[in-house]
Amino acid sequence: MTETASSHRARASRLRGLSTRAGVHMVLAGYTLIAIFPVFLVILNSFKNRRGIFTDPLGLPGEGTFSLEGYATVLTQGDFATYFSNSLIVTVTALFLILWLGAMAAHALAEYRFRFNTLLGIYLILGIMVPIRLGTVAILELMVDLNLVNTLLALILVYTAQGLPVAVFILTEFMRTLSRDIKDCARVDGLSEYRIFFEVVVPLIRPVLATVAVFSMIPIWNDLWFPLILASGDATKTVTLGVQQFIGQYTVNWSAVLASLSIAILPVLGLYALFSRQLIAGITSGAVKG
Amino acid sequence: MSELTLQDVRKSYGEAKVIHGVDLAVKDGEFVVFVGPSGCGKSTLLRMIAGLESITGGDVVIGGEQVNDIAPADRGIAMVFQSYALYPHKDVYGNMAFALRHAGEDKAVIDERVRKAADILGLQDLLKRRPKELSGGQRQRVAIGRAIVRDPEIFLFDEPLSNLDAALRVQMRVEILRLHQRLKTTMVYVTHDQVEAMTLADRIVVLRDGRIEQVGTPLELYHHPENRFVAGFIGSPKMNFLSAERSGDGTTVTTHGSAPIEVPVQPRDTEGAVTLGIRPEHVGLVAPGAGDLDARILVAERLGGETFLHFDLGDEGDFVVKADGAATHESGETVGLSFPPQALHLFDAQGAAFAPRDRNALIG
Repeated sequence: MTETASSHRARASRLRGLSTRAGVHMVLAGYTLIAIFPVFLVILNSFKNRRGIFTDPLGLPGEGTFSLEGYATVLTQGDFATYFSNSLIVTVTALFLILWLGAMAAHALAEYRFRFNTLLGIYLILGIMVPIRLGTVAILELMVDLNLVNTLLALILVYTAQGLPVAVFILTEFMRTLSRDIKDCARVDGLSEYRIFFEVVVPLIRPVLATVAVFSMIPIWNDLWFPLILASGDATKTVTLGVQQFIGQYTVNWSAVLASLSIAILPVLGLYALFSRQLIAGITSGAVKG
Repeated sequence: MSELTLQDVRKSYGEAKVIHGVDLAVKDGEFVVFVGPSGCGKSTLLRMIAGLESITGGDVVIGGEQVNDIAPADRGIAMVFQSYALYPHKDVYGNMAFALRHAGEDKAVIDERVRKAADILGLQDLLKRRPKELSGGQRQRVAIGRAIVRDPEIFLFDEPLSNLDAALRVQMRVEILRLHQRLKTTMVYVTHDQVEAMTLADRIVVLRDGRIEQVGTPLELYHHPENRFVAGFIGSPKMNFLSAERSGDGTTVTTHGSAPIEVPVQPRDTEGAVTLGIRPEHVGLVAPGAGDLDARILVAERLGGETFLHFDLGDEGDFVVKADGAATHESGETVGLSFPPQALHLFDAQGAAFAPRDRNALIG
């Protein structure tokens, strides 16, 4: 009697667990679909000719519509390789500076007790709330005065400034959770404060560095605004700006636009793959670390 | 030469004073334990000895040399931390060799010293493991090994056992004692656990609110606490305190309507109320009316080997008597409590103890 009742209850709760899990997976799968669809569409249509794109935008490239003309245009016309390497130089350098300076600032804020520590922290983090584009005019004037217009350095500096607030914020919060003992131990072992940072702290914050890297990288890579204003010269164009040459006032070479966008996705994917293992650890480290 | 001397050492953070002038001399090879409730400044004091906290006033002298402004690494100390503080990205060998490698020591010397320390602590088979693959006890052993490798003049331990479970703590306690016997190095050990303090120390330093309350061997502190705080802190379960009234020459007291009790202490002029102290293990249980006081048992806790009887004595809160494990007393029963005069302590209103008449008269 009781046995059947309890087994019945067990089955009911198993079913409930199963349906909850199925629901969660359905929501996640739906979200994934929505997120991937535009990217899929871009890549799909980059392999079609103009007619194929317009007659059947959702169709797979087939006979009569399959064409590599977009890629051919991109690789032959214009200086796509230059744009590409510009984008890479700007993104990687800015990223490096953001991580390096951000981690050092965060270490100072989290580790040392000094006057105006909190105030300085708030000042560094203020940038999160104020979009850097509000300062575009001032930045442009500054760059003109410094003779930095149409240089990659201008972009690198602006992106570093743009990425630092979030980096400092996330890294400071994480560094506060690092054990004080381990740094003290390094001090007793005779390490200088710089070596403590590089040899003890940096290995411990690697997952969070990866997280910050991914968050900072994407807006830099995708940015159109600052390249357009600060570095629109042909030698300093970035990929997003370079794509614009296929968008004319009267005609748009869609195959070429989509092909160049597809190529532009690749490095982001590559960097993401590089960081992703650390990224997951970074996102969950606060939650599940014992 | 590895004596440690603290001369009027002070520490304050801005206006807040944390250490109020500590004087202490630790002899070469001595095992000294700092004990006190949390927030008493014991860890801060240890960190000042290590050089991890700056010194606001006074001197720290190690081996005859004033080290106030010397970096931690150059003080000839090694420290073991509560959270082990192992470098997670290095294996056990790397952790133990780290300080020596950094100091530019010869590879062969490093290897020899690491292997020797690993031998002492039984870590030979774990040298290639990462800290996260070790159990708590093994991690603490690596932390100690890392300290041994540096061959310091003074070992500093900051609550090294408080992250371990009870069984492991007892085991590691014995290991630390054996380590001290073997190395014969000066050791300073911080803990909030008075059992650890009693079992490990040659001498115990009891701290409260940044001041030394008493320094002495474990048994000195147990038998002759200089004040009520030390009396209550050392010993488990803690000493019972009863408010008392003085009569006669001041060493005869009555408490809770008892007959006058003669306490064998030196008479002293003092104002205000006094407090009578007696340890749970020294109270005798007799028939009602035959002892100094009669009281009703509130709860009897039976641990097998011993029984703790809790009494309610009005304003004094819990009064505990440690009885034999075979005691048959039940809750609700009224028994007589007898206080052997030699086991009694008397404290004035400020908490300072009256000196015993005969310091050597210990209770067996």
